Amino acid sequence: MEDDRISLAHGNGGRFMRELIEEVFARHLVDSDLDVLADAAPIALDGGDVMITTDGFTVQPLEFPGGDIGSLAVHGTTNDLAVAGARPLYLTLNAFIEEGLEIEVLDRIVASLAKAARDAGVKVKAGDTKVLRRGEGGGLYLATTGVGERLPGVQPSLHRIEDGDVAIISGSVGDHGTAVMLAREEFGLRGDVVSDAGPVMELTEALMQFDGLRFMRDPTRGGIASIANEIVRATGLGVRLEATIPVKDPVQSVCDMLGYDPYYLACEGRVFAVIAPDQVDAALAAWRGLPTGRDAARAGRISSATKRVVLETPLGGERFLEELEDDPLPRIC
Amino acid sequence: MNGRAGDGLLAEPAGHAAPIKNSALRFVLSGHVQGVGFRPFVYRLAQRHGVTGRVQNQLGQVEIIAVGRPETLQQFQDELISNAPPLSRPTIDTIEPVDDATFDQFEIAASSGEADARIFVPHDYFMCDDCREELHDPDDRRFRYPFINCTQCGPRYTLIESLPYDRPNTTMAGFPLCDACNREYLDPADRRFHAEPVACPSCGPQLAFHDGDKSATLLAEAALSAALEQLRDGHIVAVKGVGGYHLMCDARDRRAVDVLRERKHRPTKPLAVMFPLRGGDGLGSIRDYADVSDQEALLLSSPGRPIVLTTRKTRSDLADNIASGLDEIGAFLPYSPLHHLLLEEFAAPLVATSANISGEPVLTENPDVEDRLARVADAFLHHDRPIKRPADDPVFRRIAGAMRPLRVGRGCAPLELGLPWRQPQPLLAVGGHMKGTVALSWDDRVIVSPHIGEMDSPRSLMVFEQVAADLQRLYGVAAERVVCDAHAGYTTHRWARRQALPVETVWHHHAHASAAVAEHDAAGPWLVFTWDGVGLGEDQTLWGGEALLGKPGTWRRVCSLRPFWLPGGDRAGREPWRSAAALHWTSGRDWQHCPDHDGLARRAWHKRMNSPQTSAAGRLFDAAAALILGVHRTSFEAEGPMLLECLCQSPSEPLDLPVAKDAAGVWRSDWEPLLDVISDARCTRASRAGVLHATMAGIVLQQAQKVRDEHSFAHVALCGGVFQNRALTEQAVSLLQDDGFTVRLPEKLPCNDAALSFGQAVEIAARRSNG
Repeated sequence: MEDDRISLAHGNGGRFMRELIEEVFARHLVDSDLDVLADAAPIALDGGDVMITTDGFTVQPLEFPGGDIGSLAVHGTTNDLAVAGARPLYLTLNAFIEEGLEIEVLDRIVASLAKAARDAGVKVKAGDTKVLRRGEGGGLYLATTGVGERLPGVQPSLHRIEDGDVAIISGSVGDHGTAVMLAREEFGLRGDVVSDAGPVMELTEALMQFDGLRFMRDPTRGGIASIANEIVRATGLGVRLEATIPVKDPVQSVCDMLGYDPYYLACEGRVFAVIAPDQVDAALAAWRGLPTGRDAARAGRISSATKRVVLETPLGGERFLEELEDDPLPRIC
Repeated sequence: MNGRAGDGLLAEPAGHAAPIKNSALRFVLSGHVQGVGFRPFVYRLAQRHGVTGRVQNQLGQVEIIAVGRPETLQQFQDELISNAPPLSRPTIDTIEPVDDATFDQFEIAASSGEADARIFVPHDYFMCDDCREELHDPDDRRFRYPFINCTQCGPRYTLIESLPYDRPNTTMAGFPLCDACNREYLDPADRRFHAEPVACPSCGPQLAFHDGDKSATLLAEAALSAALEQLRDGHIVAVKGVGGYHLMCDARDRRAVDVLRERKHRPTKPLAVMFPLRGGDGLGSIRDYADVSDQEALLLSSPGRPIVLTTRKTRSDLADNIASGLDEIGAFLPYSPLHHLLLEEFAAPLVATSANISGEPVLTENPDVEDRLARVADAFLHHDRPIKRPADDPVFRRIAGAMRPLRVGRGCAPLELGLPWRQPQPLLAVGGHMKGTVALSWDDRVIVSPHIGEMDSPRSLMVFEQVAADLQRLYGVAAERVVCDAHAGYTTHRWARRQALPVETVWHHHAHASAAVAEHDAAGPWLVFTWDGVGLGEDQTLWGGEALLGKPGTWRRVCSLRPFWLPGGDRAGREPWRSAAALHWTSGRDWQHCPDHDGLARRAWHKRMNSPQTSAAGRLFDAAAALILGVHRTSFEAEGPMLLECLCQSPSEPLDLPVAKDAAGVWRSDWEPLLDVISDARCTRASRAGVLHATMAGIVLQQAQKVRDEHSFAHVALCGGVFQNRALTEQAVSLLQDDGFTVRLPEKLPCNDAALSFGQAVEIAARRSNG
């Protein structure tokens, strides 16, 4: 048995497991007051609405330019709370570790997770680890549950969206999806393509002060095209996405070469919001004053004219962005 | 005929001395009998023969009661068909005797909307010679009136709101007739009797000119003059015609054409050119610029006035950027009076390209045009006759001895085709994704819409929905099921799934094959080569180089090409370098000129990321364009292959390609030896293009021979967009014919994806008929 890799013994409840928890998890999560001996932990919540969400993380590779599965497990869950109008406070963490994972890698990932939690202002209050037999897991799977409290102000929701509202995006799209794809397929690193994974709390809190805020979502799997399709399904209105949506040149060039559409690729640190038209300029100004919102831009508008998602191209054309197929096949050529 | 033998007329005892009694006959005629001046013709015929009775438009039919002496009635009956107006195509469905018919005279009765529908929606026609004379007669009250028309000419399909075809059911309803027009409209002896769009300067539509600065609008003659001035100054004018707007500019002005191309984001796609009518056959001006064959001349002058691809003369003052790199020019003659006036005054060819955003249906609404073409047109020549639905100009090309449509539109649509079997239920066939058309089918009829456009834009879908609804309303038939392509990503497939009707799917190339054979005698079995870009095949790969054996409803793939994997999927349609890379990488080679400089696309291709398997012949031609011409990226479909075809001026020796059966028993031709030749930079471009075409035609012959060794079939058909290539098609046809095959090509519908809607309707009818 190699000492520097996870073995089945790390999951058997004995010394190996205790040492793993103490030396890898508890050491990094010291700020979270994680009590590794308790069966359950108390959390303090003062009145108000409590919001809870949960998410699982299976990204491959575990580490990629701009992030790793650890930071992603924090951002993914806390961002879900944030776009629902809540301030995240606590997380639980489940780690499913595959036999053979290098302990050094696990250590780096947990350190990254702990830093992300610190930066997001959340504490990891409870956790569990399991070891999977070799071949039964992708190195490491994480699952986090997040608890937060609802912020005062509007309660953003799909049902608040009205004809004529405007959509805005807090930064460029497709960065995360492209970075992870390049890393996963071992296409060689491209220093200029980096995941946007990060916390969005300051972005969402900046918008919560606008009474014209309708809806917020972090465009993860399926990208902004999928969010727009979700809006169409939920509201019966149409969404017109505009050519102003920022896409970074290196992301666009990778997409062009591989034939992908950045509007369908995941982001992990962006907010797509719908807001009343008279508050768009102020909202964009508020975002652009934040480090994560510098590239914020108008993304489109809600329109009852065509009850579909339509992309307006820079050349004055229009094309439908359909709901993602399982296995998109070329239609034209 | 369902006349009752033994009654009335036929029961009249012959040979007696009794005075010859008048008889009465009831005729029911159908076919193209509405909107073509048929009733006034019947009226005049009756007058001439002294026949009394009446003629009445019913839904889609004309009913005539004729009273007269038997031999007079026989003469009347014969001339009903033999002397019918040129635009009509009547057939007599019923002749029966009627009792107790007495009339003092012959009259035209008000239309009835009650009878059973056997409806034909009339097409939009050119301006007839009689109207042209009036247009030029300073003493005529319609002198230089751009909306002159009569029962023998003028718009129909694009202004009909509903049937029967009467003025209140057209977009002319908003123009009350003045007294003078009304007299003509009501006078059975007048050639404008019931000319539904009849109009004159005092009561009809008029022109309105607007330049980009939104200055005051000019009307009528002033509008025409202002538009001409803009054109003479080298500017671009959006001109409202019959089925939509054109963008026009001086076809001799290279700079104006460049500006149009730049503003329209259409860098290279050929532009159609409208020529003034000149000389005895009207083709004098065209002949200055192009060599026109007799067949082409006939079609250019026909009532539909289509765009015809003609061979361009090398020395002329036509701007060379109208169709760069090609030796053909899409020519047509003025068809509406407005076009006549414009071209006469301009006295030189004008570019007349559909005013649209790339791939979308032509624009028809005045505000829409000003909004969407604000940065394209310098000025707008509008008129206030509304266009109910768009109809783009149709396009024809001479291929293998016949004029074949590449696009159906104004003047030939809606196009009606017959079915060899009855459709069990009325159905709507929604076609494919590119070059969309929609078809309505019931009984033994299929009505195919004009060209709509590429289906992934909202405007295309909107027009598609409107036309689908209009066809059902006009023909009084409600679809009870929908049929679509099997590709779930097509906009039309998704649309079909959203309808509250049962949906059936048809494989792309089955629809191609069925469309091609149903135009002809559908008795099979057939061997049909379906070569195109790509369409989803039964094995979930992208087909496009297949030969299918059988007949509608029972197609079986028997031949294909060696498959290859296309890096970047959909992008290959506009980036031929991907097809060239695919052939190299699939055969284990490097391609040193590949624009994938850092190898990203190739690494993704190795992992089959977004790199679907295909056997499409269209992609082989694309690859050749990249390798022979260095055309890596294009701005329209088939741009590279069109340039290659143009290089094929003399016959070449084909390569003998290996062909073998795959595990599924499908003959597959291997393109790899061709790759060596088309990549060989030591050979001229023309010789490489020649070998490519000869070899591809050779594949058709070789595969047909292989299939003939094992199966019997009656005919070979060639269809799919690749066979718009004349050099390929004519070589393939002559190789096949020389070897004893009989060959059929589509003639009524384009061989490209525009035929899919018809093919889908045929497939469904055939499935039912096969049990």
